[in-house]
Amino acid sequence: MAAAQDAILEELRRLRARVPQLTGALAADADGLVLAQDTPGVDPEAVAALTGTTRALAAQLADVTGQGDLRELLVRGVYGYVATYAAGAGAVVTLLAQDRVNVGRLHLEGRRAGARIAELVDSAAAEPTETITKAPAKPAPARARAARTSRAKPVDARAAATAPTAARTTTES
Amino acid sequence: MANTETALKEALASIEGATGVALVDYTSGMALGTMGGSKGFDLNVAAAGNTDVVRAKMRTMEHLGLKGQIEDILISLSDQYHLIRLISGRGGNGLFLYLVLDAKRSNLAMARHQLRAIEADLEV
Repeated sequence: MAAAQDAILEELRRLRARVPQLTGALAADADGLVLAQDTPGVDPEAVAALTGTTRALAAQLADVTGQGDLRELLVRGVYGYVATYAAGAGAVVTLLAQDRVNVGRLHLEGRRAGARIAELVDSAAAEPTETITKAPAKPAPARARAARTSRAKPVDARAAATAPTAARTTTES
Repeated sequence: MANTETALKEALASIEGATGVALVDYTSGMALGTMGGSKGFDLNVAAAGNTDVVRAKMRTMEHLGLKGQIEDILISLSDQYHLIRLISGRGGNGLFLYLVLDAKRSNLAMARHQLRAIEADLEV
């Protein structure tokens, strides 16, 4: 998985180089844990955790309205965008972008990155069972989880404070 | 007055050598409508890419202190012409028409003239 994480990080860096208006990029797994991140100035664990929650809600909304599986999620605030793209089995790519970003390009690059990261995640999951059984025993995910819960409160408060300023929320699937 | 679909249809049908056309919002980079194109020529990709072209030109003009407006932009390839026509007035601000022409089958002057007429008639 470590090799896959390096490859995912490389992919996120390339993405940020191609779209200069991106202010951050991260990949998270189905549990809302960070797989790789390049989000200067923003707490990646909080973003990953919120992405996981929002994704679950959006997927439910898409399902209830008969739109099928969730493909992407776009949130626009006064100062910019948060775009989330499905990346294979439960994983997502979340991109942060300035308001002046070319949304058409954001979607094109985000979808491509989602597909490539899906391949990386899936190939990592298909690795010998040895690495998979080892993974839960590692202390790292537990620490990430603890950090996430301890930070969850201030983040929620911040999210609630900024929520009314979010101009538009759309779900595409 | 023609709506988006009618205008795109007219551009594709009446302009000699036209192989694809799109109405693009350059504030977002997304196409409001596309017609033509092919499997190997995704007009949505072209919309996003040419949005960067239009934005770059506008920024350059601003830096140069030029006050004029962009009417159109011509990109000539070895076998194609790409014509970008900015839409002015009537709520069409922030939009452009993007036309792909087969260089061998098209008349550039005529295409430009026809695209101007289609733009003048377009109601978004």
